[in-house]
Amino acid sequence: MSCIAAQSLAKSYSGIAAVDGIDLTVQTGQIFGFLGPNGAGKSTTIKMLTTLVMADAGNLSILGIDAAKSPLEIRKRIGVVLQQPSYEPTLTVKRSLEKYGMMWDVPAQLRQERVRRLLADFDLTEIQNKRNEDLSIGQRRRVQVAREFMHDMDLLFLDEPTVGLDPAVRKRLLDYLKDRAGAGLTIFYTTHVLSEAEYICDKIAIINRGKIIAVDSPEELKRRFGQEKTIKINIAERDERIRDLLEDITDCRVEFDSGTEVTIRSEQSSAVLSRIFGILKENDIEVEELSAVPTSLEDIFLKVVSDAPDS
Amino acid sequence: MHPIVRLVNRNLTISLSPGFLIWQVIFPLIYIFVAGFAYTSLIDRVPFGGRDLDYPAFLATGMIGFNIMNSTLVTGIIIWNDRRHGMFEQIMSGPFTRFHYILSSVITQAIVGLVSAALIAGMGYLVYFDQIEFNLSTVPLLVFAAVIGSVLFGSIASIISTRLRTSEGFNVIINTVFLFFAFVSTAFYPAGGAPEPLSTAFYLNPLTYLVDVIRAGIFGDVTEFVLVEMAVLVVLGLGLFVTATRLLTRLDF
Repeated sequence: MSCIAAQSLAKSYSGIAAVDGIDLTVQTGQIFGFLGPNGAGKSTTIKMLTTLVMADAGNLSILGIDAAKSPLEIRKRIGVVLQQPSYEPTLTVKRSLEKYGMMWDVPAQLRQERVRRLLADFDLTEIQNKRNEDLSIGQRRRVQVAREFMHDMDLLFLDEPTVGLDPAVRKRLLDYLKDRAGAGLTIFYTTHVLSEAEYICDKIAIINRGKIIAVDSPEELKRRFGQEKTIKINIAERDERIRDLLEDITDCRVEFDSGTEVTIRSEQSSAVLSRIFGILKENDIEVEELSAVPTSLEDIFLKVVSDAPDS
Repeated sequence: MHPIVRLVNRNLTISLSPGFLIWQVIFPLIYIFVAGFAYTSLIDRVPFGGRDLDYPAFLATGMIGFNIMNSTLVTGIIIWNDRRHGMFEQIMSGPFTRFHYILSSVITQAIVGLVSAALIAGMGYLVYFDQIEFNLSTVPLLVFAAVIGSVLFGSIASIISTRLRTSEGFNVIINTVFLFFAFVSTAFYPAGGAPEPLSTAFYLNPLTYLVDVIRAGIFGDVTEFVLVEMAVLVVLGLGLFVTATRLLTRLDF
Protein backbone atom coordinates (compact mmCIF):
# COMPACT_ATOMS: atom_id res chain seq x y z
CA MET A 1 0.00 0.00 0.00
CA SER A 2 1.24 3.50 -0.87
CA CYS A 3 1.99 5.73 2.05
CA ILE A 4 2.98 8.65 -0.18
CA ALA A 5 1.65 8.99 -3.72
CA ALA A 6 2.60 12.12 -5.65
CA GLN A 7 1.88 12.74 -9.31
CA SER A 8 3.27 15.68 -11.29
CA LEU A 9 3.91 17.63 -8.11
CA ALA A 10 5.21 21.13 -8.86
CA LYS A 11 6.09 24.27 -6.96
CA SER A 12 7.58 27.54 -8.17
CA TYR A 13 8.87 30.58 -6.36
CA SER A 14 8.88 33.88 -8.26
CA GLY A 15 8.46 32.02 -11.53
CA ILE A 16 11.41 29.69 -10.90
CA ALA A 17 10.53 26.01 -10.62
CA ALA A 18 11.81 24.59 -7.34
CA VAL A 19 10.06 21.26 -7.95
CA ASP A 20 9.16 20.48 -11.52
CA GLY A 21 6.45 17.84 -11.83
CA ILE A 22 7.80 14.96 -9.76
CA ASP A 23 6.22 11.54 -9.26
CA LEU A 24 6.88 9.67 -6.03
CA THR A 25 5.54 6.49 -4.50
CA VAL A 26 6.57 5.36 -1.04
CA GLN A 27 5.27 2.04 0.25
CA THR A 28 4.16 1.54 3.85
CA GLY A 29 6.97 0.33 6.11
CA GLN A 30 9.72 1.50 3.76
CA ILE A 31 12.65 3.70 4.62
CA PHE A 32 12.72 5.94 1.59
CA GLY A 33 15.87 7.97 0.96
CA PHE A 34 15.57 11.29 -0.81
CA LEU A 35 18.91 12.56 -2.07
CA GLY A 36 20.00 15.52 -4.10
CA PRO A 37 22.58 18.27 -4.23
CA ASN A 38 21.97 21.60 -2.48
CA GLY A 39 19.15 23.55 -4.12
CA ALA A 40 17.86 20.47 -5.96
CA GLY A 41 14.34 20.78 -4.53
CA LYS A 42 14.54 18.44 -1.52
CA SER A 43 13.32 20.90 1.10
CA THR A 44 10.51 22.20 -1.08
CA THR A 45 9.40 18.63 -1.72
CA ILE A 46 9.42 17.84 2.00
CA LYS A 47 7.46 21.01 2.75
CA MET A 48 4.82 19.93 0.25
CA LEU A 49 4.72 16.37 1.57
CA THR A 50 4.34 17.62 5.14
CA THR A 51 1.65 20.10 3.98
CA LEU A 52 3.66 23.09 5.19
CA VAL A 53 3.34 24.56 1.69
CA MET A 54 0.76 23.76 -0.95
CA ALA A 55 1.78 22.50 -4.37
CA ASP A 56 1.08 24.72 -7.39
CA ALA A 57 0.14 21.68 -9.45
CA GLY A 58 -0.17 17.91 -9.25
CA ASN A 59 -1.86 15.44 -6.95
CA LEU A 60 -0.62 14.41 -3.54
CA SER A 61 -1.98 11.74 -1.27
CA ILE A 62 -0.38 11.03 2.11
CA LEU A 63 -1.60 7.99 4.05
CA GLY A 64 -4.51 7.84 1.65
CA ILE A 65 -5.58 11.42 2.46
CA ASP A 66 -5.76 14.15 -0.17
CA ALA A 67 -3.21 16.79 0.88
CA ALA A 68 -5.09 19.61 -0.83
CA LYS A 69 -8.35 18.82 0.96
CA SER A 70 -7.34 17.67 4.46
CA PRO A 71 -3.82 18.82 5.38
CA LEU A 72 -4.59 18.86 9.11
CA GLU A 73 -5.72 15.22 9.04
CA ILE A 74 -2.37 14.33 7.48
CA ARG A 75 -0.38 16.34 10.02
CA LYS A 76 -2.14 14.52 12.87
CA ARG A 77 -0.61 11.26 11.63
CA ILE A 78 2.91 12.27 10.65
CA GLY A 79 6.07 13.23 12.49
CA VAL A 80 8.47 15.81 11.14
CA VAL A 81 12.08 16.48 12.09
CA LEU A 82 12.99 19.54 10.11
CA GLN A 83 16.44 20.35 8.83
CA GLN A 84 16.62 23.51 10.91
CA PRO A 85 16.92 23.21 14.69
CA SER A 86 13.67 23.69 16.62
CA TYR A 87 13.62 24.01 20.37
CA GLU A 88 12.28 25.97 23.32
CA PRO A 89 15.42 27.65 24.65
CA THR A 90 14.35 27.97 28.29
CA LEU A 91 12.95 24.46 28.79
CA THR A 92 15.05 21.59 30.06
CA VAL A 93 15.48 18.50 27.91
CA LYS A 94 13.05 16.49 30.03
CA ARG A 95 10.48 19.27 30.17
CA SER A 96 10.62 19.85 26.43
CA LEU A 97 9.90 16.16 25.81
CA GLU A 98 6.99 16.29 28.25
CA LYS A 99 5.58 19.46 26.76
CA TYR A 100 5.90 18.14 23.23
CA GLY A 101 3.97 15.04 24.25
CA MET A 102 1.33 17.27 25.83
CA MET A 103 1.08 19.29 22.59
CA TRP A 104 0.35 16.03 20.78
CA ASP A 105 -2.31 15.16 23.38
CA VAL A 106 -0.45 12.11 24.66
CA PRO A 107 -2.05 11.02 27.99
CA ALA A 108 -0.01 12.08 31.04
CA GLN A 109 0.98 8.59 32.20
CA LEU A 110 2.03 7.46 28.75
CA ARG A 111 3.96 10.71 28.40
CA GLN A 112 6.00 9.94 31.50
CA GLU A 113 6.78 6.43 30.27
CA ARG A 114 7.85 7.70 26.87
CA VAL A 115 10.02 10.45 28.36
CA ARG A 116 11.85 7.86 30.49
CA ARG A 117 12.31 5.51 27.55
CA LEU A 118 13.44 8.18 25.07
CA LEU A 119 15.87 9.72 27.54
CA ALA A 120 17.49 6.30 27.77
CA ASP A 121 17.23 5.37 24.08
CA PHE A 122 18.78 8.64 22.94
CA ASP A 123 21.35 8.77 25.71
CA LEU A 124 19.88 11.97 27.14
CA THR A 125 19.51 10.94 30.78
CA GLU A 126 22.63 12.77 31.92
CA ILE A 127 21.57 16.03 30.32
CA GLN A 128 17.84 15.77 31.08
CA ASN A 129 17.95 18.78 33.42
CA LYS A 130 19.99 21.00 31.12
CA ARG A 131 18.21 23.80 29.31
CA ASN A 132 17.98 23.47 25.54
CA GLU A 133 19.85 26.74 25.04
CA ASP A 134 22.83 25.29 26.93
CA LEU A 135 23.15 22.14 24.79
CA SER A 136 25.67 21.49 22.04
CA ILE A 137 24.43 21.31 18.45
CA GLY A 138 24.60 17.50 18.48
CA GLN A 139 22.76 17.19 21.80
CA ARG A 140 20.06 19.55 20.60
CA ARG A 141 19.67 17.51 17.44
CA ARG A 142 19.26 14.34 19.48
CA VAL A 143 16.56 15.98 21.57
CA GLN A 144 14.82 17.17 18.42
CA VAL A 145 14.74 13.66 16.94
CA ALA A 146 13.84 11.98 20.26
CA ARG A 147 11.01 14.47 20.82
CA GLU A 148 9.28 13.33 17.65
CA PHE A 149 8.90 9.83 19.08
CA MET A 150 6.81 11.21 21.96
CA HIS A 151 3.73 10.83 19.78
CA ASP A 152 2.31 8.04 17.65
CA MET A 153 2.62 8.38 13.91
CA ASP A 154 2.35 6.36 10.72
CA LEU A 155 4.90 8.30 8.70
CA LEU A 156 8.03 10.14 9.80
CA PHE A 157 9.89 12.76 7.78
CA LEU A 158 13.53 13.16 8.75
CA ASP A 159 15.41 15.98 7.05
CA GLU A 160 19.12 15.43 7.65
CA PRO A 161 18.62 14.16 11.21
CA THR A 162 22.25 13.22 11.81
CA VAL A 163 23.77 16.66 11.26
CA GLY A 164 26.12 17.40 14.15
CA LEU A 165 26.09 13.85 15.55
CA ASP A 166 29.29 11.92 16.19
CA PRO A 167 29.72 8.58 14.36
CA ALA A 168 28.76 6.40 17.36
CA VAL A 169 25.59 8.36 18.10
CA ARG A 170 24.78 8.44 14.39
CA LYS A 171 25.04 4.66 14.18
CA ARG A 172 22.77 4.24 17.22
CA LEU A 173 20.22 6.57 15.71
CA LEU A 174 20.25 4.76 12.36
CA ASP A 175 19.79 1.42 14.12
CA TYR A 176 16.96 2.90 16.20
CA LEU A 177 15.26 4.09 13.01
CA LYS A 178 15.72 0.69 11.41
CA ASP A 179 14.04 -0.91 14.42
CA ARG A 180 11.12 1.49 14.21
CA ALA A 181 10.75 0.84 10.50
CA GLY A 182 10.84 -2.88 11.27
CA ALA A 183 7.88 -2.28 13.58
CA GLY A 184 5.91 -0.75 10.69
CA LEU A 185 6.84 2.93 10.67
CA THR A 186 7.36 4.45 7.22
CA ILE A 187 10.30 6.86 7.09
CA PHE A 188 11.08 9.50 4.49
CA TYR A 189 14.73 10.28 4.96
CA THR A 190 16.99 12.94 3.46
CA THR A 191 20.72 13.14 4.02
CA HIS A 192 23.94 14.28 2.44
CA VAL A 193 25.80 11.37 4.02
CA LEU A 194 25.33 8.77 1.30
CA SER A 195 26.77 5.91 3.32
CA GLU A 196 23.87 6.50 5.75
CA ALA A 197 21.33 6.27 2.95
CA GLU A 198 23.00 3.09 1.73
CA TYR A 199 22.90 1.63 5.24
CA ILE A 200 19.34 2.49 6.11
CA CYS A 201 17.22 2.96 3.00
CA ASP A 202 15.13 0.36 1.17
CA LYS A 203 14.63 2.66 -1.76
CA ILE A 204 16.26 5.89 -2.90
CA ALA A 205 15.16 8.75 -5.13
CA ILE A 206 17.66 11.25 -6.47
CA ILE A 207 16.38 14.71 -7.29
CA ASN A 208 18.26 17.32 -9.29
CA ARG A 209 17.06 20.69 -10.58
CA GLY A 210 13.54 19.93 -9.37
CA LYS A 211 13.20 16.62 -11.22
CA ILE A 212 13.55 13.04 -10.02
CA ILE A 213 16.38 11.55 -12.05
CA ALA A 214 16.60 8.08 -10.50
CA VAL A 215 14.49 5.93 -8.18
CA ASP A 216 15.42 2.45 -7.07
CA SER A 217 16.88 0.33 -4.29
CA PRO A 218 20.54 1.11 -3.45
CA GLU A 219 21.60 -2.25 -4.93
CA GLU A 220 19.67 -1.73 -8.14
CA LEU A 221 21.03 1.82 -8.51
CA LYS A 222 24.54 0.44 -8.20
CA ARG A 223 23.80 -2.24 -10.75
CA ARG A 224 22.30 0.24 -13.21
CA PHE A 225 24.74 3.08 -12.82
CA GLY A 226 27.75 1.37 -11.32
CA GLN A 227 29.14 -0.43 -14.36
CA GLU A 228 32.23 1.70 -14.24
CA LYS A 229 34.81 -0.03 -12.02
CA THR A 230 37.61 1.62 -10.14
CA ILE A 231 40.94 -0.23 -9.97
CA LYS A 232 44.02 0.91 -8.15
CA ILE A 233 47.49 -0.30 -9.18
CA ASN A 234 50.51 0.28 -7.02
CA ILE A 235 53.85 -0.10 -8.77
CA ALA A 236 56.91 -1.18 -6.85
CA GLU A 237 59.05 1.84 -7.70
CA ARG A 238 58.32 5.26 -8.96
CA ASP A 239 58.76 5.37 -12.74
CA GLU A 240 58.58 8.63 -14.69
CA ARG A 241 57.70 6.80 -17.95
CA ILE A 242 54.35 5.48 -16.71
CA ARG A 243 52.39 8.61 -17.48
CA ASP A 244 53.45 8.57 -21.15
CA LEU A 245 53.00 4.82 -21.45
CA LEU A 246 49.39 4.77 -20.25
CA GLU A 247 48.30 8.07 -21.74
CA ASP A 248 46.94 6.69 -25.00
CA ILE A 249 44.81 3.85 -23.63
CA THR A 250 41.20 4.31 -24.68
CA ASP A 251 37.87 3.41 -22.94
CA CYS A 252 39.10 4.46 -19.55
CA ARG A 253 40.15 7.36 -17.36
CA VAL A 254 43.57 7.04 -15.83
CA GLU A 255 44.64 9.16 -12.88
CA PHE A 256 48.16 9.33 -11.50
CA ASP A 257 49.17 10.47 -8.10
CA SER A 258 52.59 12.01 -7.64
CA GLY A 259 54.11 8.73 -6.49
CA THR A 260 53.44 5.08 -7.30
CA GLU A 261 49.65 4.80 -7.46
CA VAL A 262 47.59 4.69 -10.66
CA THR A 263 43.77 4.78 -10.56
CA ILE A 264 41.83 3.44 -13.54
CA ARG A 265 38.10 3.93 -14.06
CA SER A 266 36.44 2.07 -16.90
CA GLU A 267 33.25 0.29 -17.91
CA GLN A 268 35.38 -2.28 -19.78
CA SER A 269 37.71 -2.84 -16.89
CA SER A 270 38.86 -6.38 -17.84
CA ALA A 271 39.97 -5.41 -21.34
CA VAL A 272 41.58 -2.19 -20.13
CA LEU A 273 43.34 -3.96 -17.30
CA SER A 274 44.73 -6.58 -19.65
CA ARG A 275 46.14 -3.87 -21.95
CA ILE A 276 47.70 -2.02 -19.00
CA PHE A 277 49.34 -5.16 -17.64
CA GLY A 278 50.72 -5.84 -21.12
CA ILE A 279 52.28 -2.39 -21.32
CA LEU A 280 53.70 -2.60 -17.79
CA LYS A 281 55.22 -6.02 -18.52
CA GLU A 282 56.78 -4.87 -21.83
CA ASN A 283 58.47 -2.03 -19.97
CA ASP A 284 59.59 -4.08 -16.95
CA ILE A 285 57.48 -2.16 -14.50
CA GLU A 286 56.66 -4.34 -11.50
CA VAL A 287 53.16 -4.27 -9.99
CA GLU A 288 53.24 -4.45 -6.22
CA GLU A 289 49.52 -4.33 -5.40
CA LEU A 290 46.24 -4.41 -7.25
CA SER A 291 42.88 -3.55 -5.68
CA ALA A 292 39.33 -3.11 -6.91
CA VAL A 293 37.34 -0.40 -5.15
CA PRO A 294 33.65 -1.31 -4.73
CA THR A 295 31.20 1.14 -6.26
CA SER A 296 29.63 3.23 -3.53
CA LEU A 297 26.32 5.04 -3.52
CA GLU A 298 28.36 8.22 -3.48
CA ASP A 299 29.91 7.27 -6.85
CA ILE A 300 26.43 6.58 -8.21
CA PHE A 301 25.06 9.83 -6.84
CA LEU A 302 27.86 11.87 -8.39
CA LYS A 303 27.50 10.07 -11.71
CA VAL A 304 23.70 10.37 -11.87
CA VAL A 305 23.75 14.04 -10.91
CA SER A 306 26.58 14.95 -13.31
CA ASP A 307 25.00 12.98 -16.18
CA ALA A 308 21.60 14.61 -15.73
CA PRO A 309 20.60 17.05 -18.48
CA ASP A 310 20.84 20.74 -17.57
CA SER A 311 17.16 21.36 -18.09
CA MET B 1 -7.77 18.46 25.08
CA HIS B 2 -8.47 21.01 22.35
CA PRO B 3 -5.42 22.05 20.30
CA ILE B 4 -5.79 25.70 21.36
CA VAL B 5 -5.80 24.73 25.05
CA ARG B 6 -2.62 22.66 24.47
CA LEU B 7 -0.92 25.58 22.78
CA VAL B 8 -1.97 27.99 25.54
CA ASN B 9 -0.58 25.55 28.09
CA ARG B 10 2.69 25.45 26.17
CA ASN B 11 2.77 29.26 25.75
CA LEU B 12 2.29 29.84 29.47
CA THR B 13 4.96 27.26 30.34
CA ILE B 14 7.61 28.83 28.16
CA SER B 15 6.80 32.45 29.00
CA LEU B 16 6.37 32.41 32.77
CA SER B 17 10.01 32.64 33.69
CA PRO B 18 11.23 34.12 37.00
CA GLY B 19 12.59 37.12 35.09
CA PHE B 20 9.22 37.84 33.55
CA LEU B 21 7.43 37.54 36.90
CA ILE B 22 9.90 39.94 38.53
CA TRP B 23 9.38 42.36 35.65
CA GLN B 24 5.62 42.05 36.04
CA VAL B 25 5.44 42.39 39.85
CA ILE B 26 8.51 44.14 41.26
CA PHE B 27 8.67 46.87 38.65
CA PRO B 28 5.10 48.14 39.19
CA LEU B 29 5.51 47.84 42.97
CA ILE B 30 8.52 50.13 42.86
CA TYR B 31 6.56 52.60 40.76
CA ILE B 32 3.53 52.57 43.04
CA PHE B 33 5.20 52.53 46.44
CA VAL B 34 8.46 54.36 45.75
CA ALA B 35 7.85 56.74 42.85
CA GLY B 36 4.21 57.24 43.82
CA PHE B 37 5.00 58.51 47.32
CA ALA B 38 8.28 60.21 46.39
CA TYR B 39 6.58 62.33 43.73
CA THR B 40 3.93 63.57 46.15
CA SER B 41 6.32 66.43 47.01
CA LEU B 42 5.95 67.56 43.38
CA ILE B 43 2.43 66.37 42.58
CA ASP B 44 0.26 66.42 45.65
CA ARG B 45 -3.23 66.05 44.22
CA VAL B 46 -4.50 65.17 40.74
CA PRO B 47 -7.87 66.48 39.56
CA PHE B 48 -10.05 63.66 38.25
CA GLY B 49 -13.81 63.62 37.54
CA GLY B 50 -14.60 66.66 39.67
CA ARG B 51 -12.50 65.62 42.65
CA ASP B 52 -8.87 65.45 43.67
CA LEU B 53 -7.02 62.13 43.92
CA ASP B 54 -3.82 61.37 45.82
CA TYR B 55 -0.94 60.99 43.37
CA PRO B 56 -0.12 57.41 44.57
CA ALA B 57 -3.76 56.42 43.92
CA PHE B 58 -3.63 58.06 40.47
CA LEU B 59 -0.34 56.33 39.65
CA ALA B 60 -1.44 52.90 40.96
CA THR B 61 -4.46 52.89 38.63
CA GLY B 62 -2.22 54.00 35.76
CA MET B 63 0.11 51.11 36.56
CA ILE B 64 -2.72 48.62 35.99
CA GLY B 65 -2.93 49.74 32.36
CA PHE B 66 0.84 49.96 32.10
CA ASN B 67 1.16 46.39 33.33
CA ILE B 68 -1.50 45.08 30.96
CA MET B 69 0.48 46.64 28.13
CA ASN B 70 3.77 45.25 29.40
CA SER B 71 2.36 41.76 29.83
CA THR B 72 1.52 41.62 26.13
CA LEU B 73 5.21 41.79 25.36
CA VAL B 74 5.09 38.11 26.15
CA THR B 75 3.11 37.45 22.97
CA GLY B 76 5.60 39.24 20.78
CA ILE B 77 8.45 37.42 22.47
CA ILE B 78 6.78 33.99 22.04
CA ILE B 79 6.10 34.55 18.34
CA TRP B 80 9.55 35.99 17.73
CA ASN B 81 11.25 33.17 19.64
CA ASP B 82 9.16 30.56 17.83
CA ARG B 83 10.34 31.93 14.50
CA ARG B 84 13.92 32.33 15.59
CA HIS B 85 14.21 28.87 17.16
CA GLY B 86 12.24 26.96 14.49
CA MET B 87 9.23 26.21 16.69
CA PHE B 88 6.75 28.07 14.50
CA GLU B 89 7.48 25.74 11.58
CA GLN B 90 7.60 22.73 13.92
CA ILE B 91 4.19 23.57 15.40
CA MET B 92 2.73 24.18 11.95
CA SER B 93 3.95 20.75 10.83
CA GLY B 94 2.05 19.19 13.75
CA PRO B 95 -1.65 18.83 14.57
CA PHE B 96 -2.32 22.58 14.55
CA THR B 97 -3.49 25.25 12.13
CA ARG B 98 -2.43 28.90 11.94
CA PHE B 99 -5.81 29.77 13.41
CA HIS B 100 -4.99 27.60 16.46
CA TYR B 101 -1.63 29.32 16.80
CA ILE B 102 -3.02 32.85 16.53
CA LEU B 103 -5.95 32.23 18.86
CA SER B 104 -3.71 30.56 21.42
CA SER B 105 -1.51 33.67 21.40
CA VAL B 106 -4.53 35.91 21.98
CA ILE B 107 -5.79 33.74 24.84
CA THR B 108 -2.33 33.58 26.38
CA GLN B 109 -2.00 37.35 26.33
CA ALA B 110 -5.53 37.79 27.68
CA ILE B 111 -4.76 35.42 30.59
CA VAL B 112 -1.46 37.13 31.37
CA GLY B 113 -3.14 40.54 31.01
CA LEU B 114 -6.02 39.61 33.33
CA VAL B 115 -3.77 38.11 35.99
CA SER B 116 -1.46 41.06 35.71
CA ALA B 117 -4.31 43.55 36.05
CA ALA B 118 -5.73 41.66 39.03
CA LEU B 119 -2.32 41.54 40.69
CA ILE B 120 -1.63 45.26 40.36
CA ALA B 121 -5.23 46.15 41.21
CA GLY B 122 -4.85 44.09 44.39
CA MET B 123 -1.50 45.59 45.35
CA GLY B 124 -2.62 49.08 44.37
CA TYR B 125 -5.68 48.75 46.58
CA LEU B 126 -3.45 49.62 49.52
CA VAL B 127 -3.00 53.12 48.13
CA TYR B 128 -6.40 53.84 46.61
CA PHE B 129 -8.71 51.97 49.01
CA ASP B 130 -10.00 55.18 50.61
CA GLN B 131 -10.76 56.78 47.25
CA ILE B 132 -12.28 53.85 45.39
CA GLU B 133 -15.92 54.20 44.28
CA PHE B 134 -16.76 50.53 43.90
CA ASN B 135 -19.89 49.93 41.85
CA LEU B 136 -21.40 47.43 39.41
CA SER B 137 -19.26 48.64 36.53
CA THR B 138 -15.91 48.44 38.35
CA VAL B 139 -15.06 44.78 37.70
CA PRO B 140 -16.56 44.64 34.17
CA LEU B 141 -14.57 47.74 33.22
CA LEU B 142 -11.34 46.26 34.61
CA VAL B 143 -11.96 42.97 32.76
CA PHE B 144 -12.80 44.90 29.58
CA ALA B 145 -9.57 46.90 29.92
CA ALA B 146 -7.51 43.78 30.54
CA VAL B 147 -8.95 41.88 27.58
CA ILE B 148 -9.07 44.68 25.00
CA GLY B 149 -5.71 46.06 26.19
CA SER B 150 -4.17 42.61 25.82
CA VAL B 151 -5.58 42.14 22.33
CA LEU B 152 -4.59 45.63 21.22
CA PHE B 153 -1.03 45.77 22.55
CA GLY B 154 -0.52 42.04 21.93
CA SER B 155 -1.40 42.63 18.28
CA ILE B 156 1.14 45.46 18.10
CA ALA B 157 3.79 43.17 19.63
CA SER B 158 2.80 40.40 17.18
CA ILE B 159 3.06 42.75 14.20
CA ILE B 160 6.54 43.83 15.28
CA SER B 161 7.61 40.21 15.85
CA THR B 162 6.48 39.16 12.36
CA ARG B 163 8.40 41.97 10.70
CA LEU B 164 11.76 41.70 12.41
CA ARG B 165 14.27 38.87 12.31
CA THR B 166 17.24 40.06 14.33
CA SER B 167 17.17 40.11 18.12
CA GLU B 168 18.72 43.59 18.17
CA GLY B 169 16.06 44.95 15.83
CA PHE B 170 13.24 43.29 17.73
CA ASN B 171 14.44 44.54 21.14
CA VAL B 172 15.14 48.10 19.98
CA ILE B 173 11.82 48.52 18.16
CA ILE B 174 9.59 46.89 20.75
CA ASN B 175 11.21 48.77 23.65
CA THR B 176 11.05 52.09 21.80
CA VAL B 177 7.39 51.63 20.86
CA PHE B 178 6.37 50.53 24.34
CA LEU B 179 8.43 53.28 25.98
CA PHE B 180 6.60 55.81 23.82
CA PHE B 181 3.25 54.32 24.80
CA ALA B 182 4.20 54.34 28.49
CA PHE B 183 5.47 57.89 28.80
CA VAL B 184 3.35 59.73 26.23
CA SER B 185 0.20 58.75 28.10
CA THR B 186 -1.73 59.57 31.23
CA ALA B 187 -0.49 56.43 33.00
CA PHE B 188 2.04 58.39 35.08
CA TYR B 189 0.71 61.95 35.04
CA PRO B 190 -2.47 63.81 34.10
CA ALA B 191 -2.86 65.34 30.65
CA GLY B 192 -4.16 68.58 32.16
CA GLY B 193 -0.88 70.03 33.41
CA ALA B 194 1.23 69.04 30.37
CA PRO B 195 2.14 71.49 27.55
CA GLU B 196 -0.49 71.61 24.79
CA PRO B 197 1.28 69.52 22.07
CA LEU B 198 2.13 66.85 24.62
CA SER B 199 -1.33 66.67 26.14
CA THR B 200 -2.74 66.31 22.60
CA ALA B 201 -0.22 63.56 21.89
CA PHE B 202 -1.43 61.74 25.01
CA TYR B 203 -4.76 61.23 23.25
CA LEU B 204 -3.14 59.72 20.18
CA ASN B 205 -2.04 56.89 22.41
CA PRO B 206 -4.29 53.89 23.20
CA LEU B 207 -2.69 53.46 26.63
CA THR B 208 -4.23 56.79 27.66
CA TYR B 209 -7.67 55.47 26.72
CA LEU B 210 -6.99 52.24 28.56
CA VAL B 211 -5.98 53.91 31.85
CA ASP B 212 -8.92 56.33 31.53
CA VAL B 213 -11.29 53.33 31.38
CA ILE B 214 -9.55 51.70 34.38
CA ARG B 215 -9.72 54.90 36.42
CA ALA B 216 -13.37 55.38 35.45
CA GLY B 217 -14.08 51.91 36.79
CA ILE B 218 -12.13 52.30 40.01
CA PHE B 219 -13.06 55.88 40.85
CA GLY B 220 -16.65 55.60 39.58
CA ASP B 221 -16.64 58.25 36.88
CA VAL B 222 -17.98 56.65 33.69
CA THR B 223 -18.67 59.62 31.41
CA GLU B 224 -19.72 59.75 27.76
CA PHE B 225 -16.12 60.44 26.84
CA VAL B 226 -15.05 57.21 28.54
CA LEU B 227 -17.64 55.32 26.47
CA VAL B 228 -16.16 56.90 23.34
CA GLU B 229 -12.69 55.85 24.51
CA MET B 230 -13.96 52.30 24.98
CA ALA B 231 -15.38 52.29 21.45
CA VAL B 232 -12.06 53.58 20.08
CA LEU B 233 -10.20 50.83 21.93
CA VAL B 234 -12.51 48.15 20.52
CA VAL B 235 -12.22 49.41 16.93
CA LEU B 236 -8.44 49.90 17.17
CA GLY B 237 -7.95 46.57 18.94
CA LEU B 238 -9.94 44.67 16.31
CA GLY B 239 -8.19 46.47 13.46
CA LEU B 240 -4.76 45.66 14.85
CA PHE B 241 -5.80 42.09 15.60
CA VAL B 242 -6.94 41.57 12.00
CA THR B 243 -3.66 43.06 10.74
CA ALA B 244 -1.58 40.86 13.06
CA THR B 245 -3.57 37.78 12.05
CA ARG B 246 -3.05 38.50 8.36
CA LEU B 247 0.67 38.99 8.84
CA LEU B 248 0.93 35.76 10.82
CA THR B 249 -1.08 33.91 8.20
CA ARG B 250 1.30 35.05 5.48
CA LEU B 251 4.48 34.13 7.32
CA ASP B 252 6.63 31.97 5.06
CA PHE B 253 8.51 28.87 6.11
